[in-house]
Amino acid sequence: MIRAALPALELSDIQGDILRAYGNSYDCASYAFVRIDCEPEQARAWLAGVVDHVTNAAPWSEKPLTTLNVALTASGLAALGVSQETIGSFSHEFRQGMAARAELLGDTGPSAPPKWDQGLGTGDAHVLLTINAQTTADHRRALAKMQAAMKDTGGVSVLYQQDAELLHGAREHFGFADGFAQPAIAGATEDKAPGGGVPERDGRWRPLAPGEFVLGYPDEDTSVDRARRLPPAPTGAMARNGTYMVWRKLHQDVALWRRTIAAAAARYPYGDARKLAAKVVGRWQDGTPVQTHPHGPDPEFDPAAPGANDFRYRNDLDGRRCPLGAHIRRCNPRDALDPAGKLSLRHRMIRRGMPYGKVLPEGALEDDGAERGLVFVSFQASIFRQFEGVQTPWINDGNIFGLGTDKDFLLGEPSGSGKMTIQGEKPFFVSPQEAFVVTRGGEYLFVPGMTALRALVDGTAG
Amino acid sequence: MRSPNIAGKTYSLMIWTPIKPGEEGALRAYLDGLDNGAGSPLAKLPRTHMARWIVVPDMPVAPGTDLRDPLGTQFLLFTSNLDGDVDSYLHELVALMAVEAAEVWGHCVGCPQPAEGVALKAYLHRNQVDSGVAFAAYPNASVKQIKTALDKRARLIDFAVRAQEMKPAERRKEFLEQFGAA
Amino acid sequence: MNLPAVSPDAPPSNVCGRTTSITLFTTQKPWGRFWMPFMFTLTRAAPKSLEAMDKLSFISFASWSLIRELPYNGPPQTVRRLRYPHLFFEVSFNGSWAQYIDSSVRVLTTGMYTFWGSSRRFPGPLPAGPFQAFFKVHEVDASHYHCAYPDATVTIVRSALELEERLEMFAHRVRHLPEEQFDAAWDAFIEDAQRYL
Repeated sequence: MIRAALPALELSDIQGDILRAYGNSYDCASYAFVRIDCEPEQARAWLAGVVDHVTNAAPWSEKPLTTLNVALTASGLAALGVSQETIGSFSHEFRQGMAARAELLGDTGPSAPPKWDQGLGTGDAHVLLTINAQTTADHRRALAKMQAAMKDTGGVSVLYQQDAELLHGAREHFGFADGFAQPAIAGATEDKAPGGGVPERDGRWRPLAPGEFVLGYPDEDTSVDRARRLPPAPTGAMARNGTYMVWRKLHQDVALWRRTIAAAAARYPYGDARKLAAKVVGRWQDGTPVQTHPHGPDPEFDPAAPGANDFRYRNDLDGRRCPLGAHIRRCNPRDALDPAGKLSLRHRMIRRGMPYGKVLPEGALEDDGAERGLVFVSFQASIFRQFEGVQTPWINDGNIFGLGTDKDFLLGEPSGSGKMTIQGEKPFFVSPQEAFVVTRGGEYLFVPGMTALRALVDGTAG
Repeated sequence: MRSPNIAGKTYSLMIWTPIKPGEEGALRAYLDGLDNGAGSPLAKLPRTHMARWIVVPDMPVAPGTDLRDPLGTQFLLFTSNLDGDVDSYLHELVALMAVEAAEVWGHCVGCPQPAEGVALKAYLHRNQVDSGVAFAAYPNASVKQIKTALDKRARLIDFAVRAQEMKPAERRKEFLEQFGAA
Repeated sequence: MNLPAVSPDAPPSNVCGRTTSITLFTTQKPWGRFWMPFMFTLTRAAPKSLEAMDKLSFISFASWSLIRELPYNGPPQTVRRLRYPHLFFEVSFNGSWAQYIDSSVRVLTTGMYTFWGSSRRFPGPLPAGPFQAFFKVHEVDASHYHCAYPDATVTIVRSALELEERLEMFAHRVRHLPEEQFDAAWDAFIEDAQRYL
């Protein structure tokens, strides 16, 4: 292997929240999909005002009250006047858009694009503005400012807006701590390597190459390429310090989840509903990995502690500690598929999701009709290889794990085998598989670097 | 040492026949119009694991290279991963897939007219090209065995899930009903 | 310099259910004329040489062949002598080609060199981009592809075959077992069988 020193990441040219999380101190977020109905020049004038306020990844001494980030769809690039030739240099799946990939993603039945929230998946969403705010007051102010800027320019309006709010204890609606397990990236989050990087044969972990997550840098293939080529990227200004973003609104039927797990747990010989749910997810509700603590959560568990995710699956290849089909084992199989993680290292992504909607009261088993779920956000250099490479073969199928047509019981829908096997002395089959999670819409986006954003404003992005 | 065409009990068959000049389009159109599921003519051959027809217009060459190696005539390539020996397979092919075989190879140079029976079989034999190495992931299983095993697996999964909720006597009874036949 | 992006999606005529087929022709360097037959002989003598591929369990059938001449059937077929020998490779596998291959080559590196090292323009198995582009350029699409069990993957077929053997034995035993012992026997059976379900 050829391993040369990695170039330093140009943090002040990369948008914030990609490599390092803004963290859990931003309580509120808004995702505003903007539609451009005017000439590119006018739209660029509006964007110029936005770009000045975009938060980059340079370390800050004091956390800003609000942050602002910008991403674009393929149709958004066109609306801003980017040439078809340049747009053609973006990845195939990005240009197609998420709705066109629905079948591949398992977005069928109630999750199919015709059933999506109005405005999503139609090509009308051009620009995504993501606003994070520390308090609801800050949040209101930032939104008002955004609206005022649009009114000033005209021809630009919010097509769809989704607000999201951190739940108590950084949990998602099914009650699990979420978002703290992230890939360790060389030059950015090396401290997270144990459990977050690539499991090596000698027991050590190494961080992933930054090009897996930000364009313009060496990725995992560059290090084994004598010619040191960089991963595919768009031409021109957008080739550097940008990345692809996946945005999905996932509705969660919490009551259905609770009822299904409770009913199955009544027959489960090895524990209660909490334990069964932990087996399905691969973590206890507080985040303790089932792999390290198969019998109960660790009261001392701290998701932020270094090494909180430092575990492997090699000593559990039959899944008797953490089931082979557990959600987190599917999403990141670590060394489960081969001892050096070769079959999983190129399918990692950075996740920055946030829940939306009010919590269903504890113990409630009937749906209250309210909209709640997760805004799923991921950043990666290749949507096809990373996001889709997890979603299609790992979540919507069980084959590579030796699980036939079992789907991820947490995210799947009933078209597979309809069950999940909890491996054990006496295997337990959780069923029926219900659609606990329904896609309400989504977009594939591109997050340009700061220089590229300015080039877009100037009309020099290609 | 194993034969170049054989992996376990499976045989890797490859037949190259030149397409009559001018009939390439008609052949392609016919092949494109076939259902590739249970309605495929190849489904009539019960010993076929996987098979395909490929129209090879020329050897593909990387753009910008001087490696062109013109075939002169376009070829129809037929390949099949089949159970057992090739002679009886071709016998079945001309018998069970007679209509489609005549339609397909009828477009090829040197094909007997009418394209049927022993004459067609001999033609196909004559145009067989050997493999170098053949690999099969489950070399000792026949198509029939595989289909039976897949069906049983699906039924056992269904049973195992439901069996969790059955009373012991009921569980035994249904198991024997479903899987107990000697 | 950046790598070329490779279009990921296989043409539908190469796909039957969950199985995809790829047919590839690559032009040989002069020494391929001797190397490939030697390799074939070696591989056939030591079938273990395909073990790494076998273990990955996503290829159902594959074959390699060195094409030096094609059958001649008289006019109107043009008489042609091939300038080069060509390596023919055909494979049936499950899963999306591009999604798996970039990982799989990391496990199959040596085999890739053995089989394609003598092919002109072979860029080496890694990085995955140029390697996939090499495959893409040399592919010929099928016009018709049929698989007898389109919804089964290699792993599912293998599981089903293993399971059937055990199921037969168990069913045979149960027929002679006192009724009250069925449950314990079932539990033991299902513990053993769980990895095939």
